[in-house]
Amino acid sequence: MVKIYTSVSFTLFLSVFGLQSLYASKTGYKMPDKSYFIVQQDTTKAKKDLSNSIKTDTIGQMVKALQKFKTVRDTINIRSSASVPNLSLQQIIKGNLAGVYVQEPNGEPGTEQSMLVQGASGLLFTKRDIYALQPAVYLNGVPLVQDNPFAFDVQKYDYNRIGPATNLLSQIDIDNIQSIAVVKDPLELAKLGPNAANGAIYIVTKNARGGLRDISLNSYFGFVTAPNVNTVNGVYENNFRKPFYQKYASAENYADYASYLKDSTNTSYYGPSNWNDLYYKNTPIVSANLGITGGGDRANFRFYGSGTENAGNADDTKINRYNLFFGINMAPFKWFTISSTVNAARLDRFRNKSLRDRFAETRYIPDLSSPLSPNSSIYGGYLTENEKNVDNNRSSILNGNLVLSAKVNKVIISSSLIFDYNEGVRDYFTPSTLMDGVSYVSNYFGYSQRLSVNNTASYKLEINAKHTVDFEIGQSLQGDTYKYNYARAYNGPSDYVKLNLVDGNSGSGDYLNTLAAGGFYVFRYIDKERNNLMSFFGAAKYSYKNLLDVSLLLRRDGSSNGQPDSRWVTTPAFNADFNLKEQFFKDNTVFGKLNISAGWGRNIRIFLDDRYAAGPQYRSENGWFEEPTIPGYGGRLGINRPYESGFIGYGITLPYAERTNITLDASFFNNRVNAAITAYNRDDKNQIIGMPVPFETGYGLNHRSGMNINNKGLELMLNSLVLSTPNGLSWNTIANVNYNKNELKALPDGLTEVIIGNNKLVVGKPVGSFWLYTNNGIYNTNAEVPAGRTFNGIEMKAGDPSWVDYNGDNRIDGKDKILTGDRLPKFVGGWNNTLAYKSFDLNFNFIFALGHKAINQYEATRYGFINREAGNDINSVKEVSSWQIFDNEKAYPIYNPWSDVDAYRVDQSLFLENASYMKLRSVTIGYDFGKTSLFKKAGGNLKRAYLYATAMNVLTITDFSGADPELVNYNGYYDGANLTIPRTFVLGFKLDL
Amino acid sequence: MNYIINKRSSFNKSCIAIFVLLISFGNFSCKKIDDVSSIRLATEETNWKTLEDARANLLSIYGLLRSATVADNAHWLMGDLRQGDFAITNRVDLKAIVNGKLNATYPVINRITNWRAFYAAINAASLFIERSKEIHALDPRYTKLNNEVDIAQARMLRGFAYFYMSRIWGDVPLLTSSHDGEFVKLPRTSQQKVLAFATNELLAAAKVVPFRYGGTDPIMPGLYYGAGWTAWNGVLFTRLSAYIILAHIAAWQGNYMDVANYSKFVLDNQSTQVSVDGANSLSYINIQALTENENSSSPFAYKRANLMVGFPFEAGNGLATANGHIEQLTLAAPFIPKATPEMFVTKDSINKIFPIPGDLRYSINPLTGIYRTNYFYNSESERPIFNKIKVIYPSNTSGDVTLFSSSMVFSRMEEITLLRAEALAVLGQKDEALIALNKASSLRGITLISSPTTDLIAEIFGERRRELMGEGWRWYDIVRYNRIKNSNQVFATKNGQQMTFKQFEAAGGIYWPVSQDVINANSSITQNSYWQ
Repeated sequence: MVKIYTSVSFTLFLSVFGLQSLYASKTGYKMPDKSYFIVQQDTTKAKKDLSNSIKTDTIGQMVKALQKFKTVRDTINIRSSASVPNLSLQQIIKGNLAGVYVQEPNGEPGTEQSMLVQGASGLLFTKRDIYALQPAVYLNGVPLVQDNPFAFDVQKYDYNRIGPATNLLSQIDIDNIQSIAVVKDPLELAKLGPNAANGAIYIVTKNARGGLRDISLNSYFGFVTAPNVNTVNGVYENNFRKPFYQKYASAENYADYASYLKDSTNTSYYGPSNWNDLYYKNTPIVSANLGITGGGDRANFRFYGSGTENAGNADDTKINRYNLFFGINMAPFKWFTISSTVNAARLDRFRNKSLRDRFAETRYIPDLSSPLSPNSSIYGGYLTENEKNVDNNRSSILNGNLVLSAKVNKVIISSSLIFDYNEGVRDYFTPSTLMDGVSYVSNYFGYSQRLSVNNTASYKLEINAKHTVDFEIGQSLQGDTYKYNYARAYNGPSDYVKLNLVDGNSGSGDYLNTLAAGGFYVFRYIDKERNNLMSFFGAAKYSYKNLLDVSLLLRRDGSSNGQPDSRWVTTPAFNADFNLKEQFFKDNTVFGKLNISAGWGRNIRIFLDDRYAAGPQYRSENGWFEEPTIPGYGGRLGINRPYESGFIGYGITLPYAERTNITLDASFFNNRVNAAITAYNRDDKNQIIGMPVPFETGYGLNHRSGMNINNKGLELMLNSLVLSTPNGLSWNTIANVNYNKNELKALPDGLTEVIIGNNKLVVGKPVGSFWLYTNNGIYNTNAEVPAGRTFNGIEMKAGDPSWVDYNGDNRIDGKDKILTGDRLPKFVGGWNNTLAYKSFDLNFNFIFALGHKAINQYEATRYGFINREAGNDINSVKEVSSWQIFDNEKAYPIYNPWSDVDAYRVDQSLFLENASYMKLRSVTIGYDFGKTSLFKKAGGNLKRAYLYATAMNVLTITDFSGADPELVNYNGYYDGANLTIPRTFVLGFKLDL
Repeated sequence: MNYIINKRSSFNKSCIAIFVLLISFGNFSCKKIDDVSSIRLATEETNWKTLEDARANLLSIYGLLRSATVADNAHWLMGDLRQGDFAITNRVDLKAIVNGKLNATYPVINRITNWRAFYAAINAASLFIERSKEIHALDPRYTKLNNEVDIAQARMLRGFAYFYMSRIWGDVPLLTSSHDGEFVKLPRTSQQKVLAFATNELLAAAKVVPFRYGGTDPIMPGLYYGAGWTAWNGVLFTRLSAYIILAHIAAWQGNYMDVANYSKFVLDNQSTQVSVDGANSLSYINIQALTENENSSSPFAYKRANLMVGFPFEAGNGLATANGHIEQLTLAAPFIPKATPEMFVTKDSINKIFPIPGDLRYSINPLTGIYRTNYFYNSESERPIFNKIKVIYPSNTSGDVTLFSSSMVFSRMEEITLLRAEALAVLGQKDEALIALNKASSLRGITLISSPTTDLIAEIFGERRRELMGEGWRWYDIVRYNRIKNSNQVFATKNGQQMTFKQFEAAGGIYWPVSQDVINANSSITQNSYWQ
């Protein structure tokens, strides 16, 4: 693990900027002159130094208020990460924080990604589920508000949320980051409160500080590169289908042969397959930023601005990011400080042109019998039509804080106002030429807003030299608002009219009538939701010398999303730290440090949806599976019980998370080796789950409290300066290995299993288990089929898969499906190395995820082409990128694709694959000119002039047969529709003046 | 580390004041938590209070039942495919239905064999019957009569839902109250009991509901929920609707005496919806209204009194949808941009079904010498397009927007007249039956002249087959026809064993299997015997 205590103290706050500050902190490891990294430092001592060495503590006080995490070990190595052109926070974290599993299921830049801290606390069956599993992300103490999944209520397909669907954590720009830490400690999480029920990622930006003027200028330029692909055309597809037809086809089946493949002289499908020339492209990426810090001890500021253009290697996908940051600290009096940071970002995303995403947005499926041609001249014509598209995706983000802090004698009072507002706008238009004569326009405007006021007071009671008690009390009020307006509309008057215009003349009969003649056919959706959270807490920490710390925290939270009789909950947390070194090995020179700490804490979890607070309710749910958003009847709104989404009764209480952590951490050999081992047990209790009820009640589900999920795990972190020679070679290695075991502990009403669609939950098994039939070959002849064997009532025949009949009743049905495999890896981690020689350095970073499985749905639909093409639904879409084959593709048995048993169904073990992988994620080589005599002579005040080259996504080791094991969707299905994660090369420099 | 506050400065004091103010600005009141109520839903505190609540809850029952019948095009998949007139082009799930493999594991079959949506409508109706009275006490605008009429509609809809389900699954669990908040597990109730319940409900409702809503109907004069009969015709179930449904229940039970009575009531009271209250009249429709969306009387394209039992989709109310209409299954180029239809009627079937010259639906037009295209386009080709029903957004007969707004039509004048003819024929009143038959078919340009050898029942069912093609009737007509005829011919084959209709019916073959999901959710539900 990256073992840098950057988030720890004011000392280190300074230290990352320049080496000089390292020397200021006496306990810091004395680094060889030419190396850049900073080794972990002893927190407690560093803190002591702080109090001695800094005379005016006003601004430091304020900074400490932001940096709550004094015991956190797991932080990102900012130095080595800064040279990697990551776009999002998730990418920065991937493999580099202990206990965090990052999923990047799409290489399209700016798309949503997921982080799971210490396992999954809930279900993972739909995209919507993933929102509830995400940790809270704090930026300078601001708990960032995320998109609310309630928009999925009005969506037919959940591939993308409506609106820009941009990953809002793409706003994080590593060059302005001071520290990124993961918070898993029960006491610290309890201090953060219900927002952090899934853990927290705590980010502190570089901020204003007193002292020397400081200017940094960073930039890189590079390329994302097009992959090598093996393209195929109709000949391949034709040959692929031949064995199926030879074995099973009737004359009627031959007559229905796919029309686009019937004519082998048709150059659209049988001509050269060179679509990849237009689809995959080497695309430049570029970024530049400037940071200025200045001022004195009593007033100082930081300004930061950056622009980044990132791109994908396929389908012309891009994202432009602009960041502005401004921070000031003021100490008008010695006892009083004011500080504020404001962070603004704009994300403009240029999305893919895939058919699936388009049809999912338009909810309109034209005739799909002729797929896109693999020939670039014809595919090029399609791209030309695409130029008529409008696809503006803009996210604007503004967040920041205002912190007032006063120190009156021994009492520190601090009050902060925190805000985060982000708004997403999407305007989408697609011309009639791309949708069988019907143009489409949709407009989305949505925002998420969080406003919070926090007040804390702390008091340090020094009873005597041995005993001290720190008291802290606090109160906060947080208000969230989520809103969107969305309209989709069809069939505009012409492809030149890309706006949904209405008559604005109030005298006109068609005033604001969106259905007026000649206009679009409009469907409108609006929704808004509010959620307030009020909290009070009190904490005390007792210290006995520097031997023992015992902390206790008690908080009371009220959430407006809880039911009225149970929305206020009191939760406790405890922690104890014991300094073993001090107690047992005081004179031992091997250990620089040896601590054990243990903690337990409970945190409530607030619902993302306000429906649960209402109890039995009525909504406008009149539609059905294919048409989910029918508003009413007879031109008037209708309301009814939520038969479709499930009953919600009284007695739903807030879920809560309980964590136990034990950590042993030590440093050896003069702090050259730091190691820590953490064992955790995490129980997410009383969670809500829709339980199936008899359909005769009209409902499919009844939402009940009582699902418990347990995650246990071990985290190993090691940071070692393996080699260090003055003015010579040094090698620093950082590794983290994490094991997680997930288990469903309980279901509501004491049930032990429940079937949810194509998934099953069984108490005692991981929630991410797949529920599948087990393949056992094929019935080659009717004689091989056991007499009377049926599959869900259908007589089985030659050409059908032989599925294992576990219960021996000669009927293959749901009772013969077993839980197998897990969507989530057992082991995740990373290994980061930096080699330095004089002014050169070389960094390489490996990441891995092991022990998880995925269903290869891409192959299932490819082999099940008969059903796919007959359907003309969203699953029948054949993207242009499917005109390729992969090197390690597997061969599957030739089943009868016409069989009513749906031989290539996805819920069978045939398509279950090991998705484990290890990747060489980045390699950086750099040279610091700042120390060369050339620059020394020229200016002298140049701290650093670092030139580097980085290669990203260099190598993947995996058994997975698809394009990339990371491109598996959250639900564990690999559908091949997501864009590849590009190999990227950049050249950049970092100047610190 | 100790700092001393500079007491001399008043500026300091004001700073402290601001500071304290700022802190207290984080209001400690719990109201901030308790006063946030959702604006996205109605709760028990807010629903069942006003006239508008009554309207919203009542209309939802219609909406839910509409969804239940048309979801995944189930009305047509279940009504028109089994031994029906349609052939399938590509879709394997539809082929499975045509071939009688109703338990094949396709998603669409799994969804349409799940009866939950019907029970949602039934539950909403029960809830309305139980709760809407509360509104009468709270909102003086909501009169007792209004409430009674609304409850009668809810009972009618519930009865209709039970009948509709029972035609599909035979015995279905009978729930007569909402059990709100409880999740009871009930076994199937015999079809006889279910239909008896439905009949009683409809008879009771029929005594209350008016012939017209919002008009000058003496039972309930005046605007209904602020709107007149022009707004409500073809939308709400009237007294005529009740008797039509009663007639069908009786016909399904073979109780043709009742069918004759109920259908007589309907036809005798046609005048209640003719030339009144500004709406288009209830009438037999001509071929233009049947196939070309003629404005004043097409029950498919517009909500008109001619939609006697059924559910409209109105493009103007944002209800044009892709799914839920037969057009999605049957239309293709040149009507909509789609290469091939999902199902069609073969050339041979067309010629067999429409043998009569001069039939305006399908025959050679003597003026042009070519086939009429009212029902079938390109009828000489391998894949004629069945284009009888073609309501393409907003109410065109062709277009690029493959969103459709045709109504789900359960019954119209022709249908109930033919049912009456059927009843009279079974009861032996041949002359009157012939009159009814010819009344129904007169606007199609054909008149049957009976001779002693005429199989009148076969003729009536033949006319039903022609007139109601693509309206979800074929399978149920086949069942009733075979019940009447009780022939010894082979009707179906199961596992190599040939069955007459009687044997087939006794084995439960006329009913659909119920989705395994239903059985998983309620262990006391058994699979239909034929599909076990």
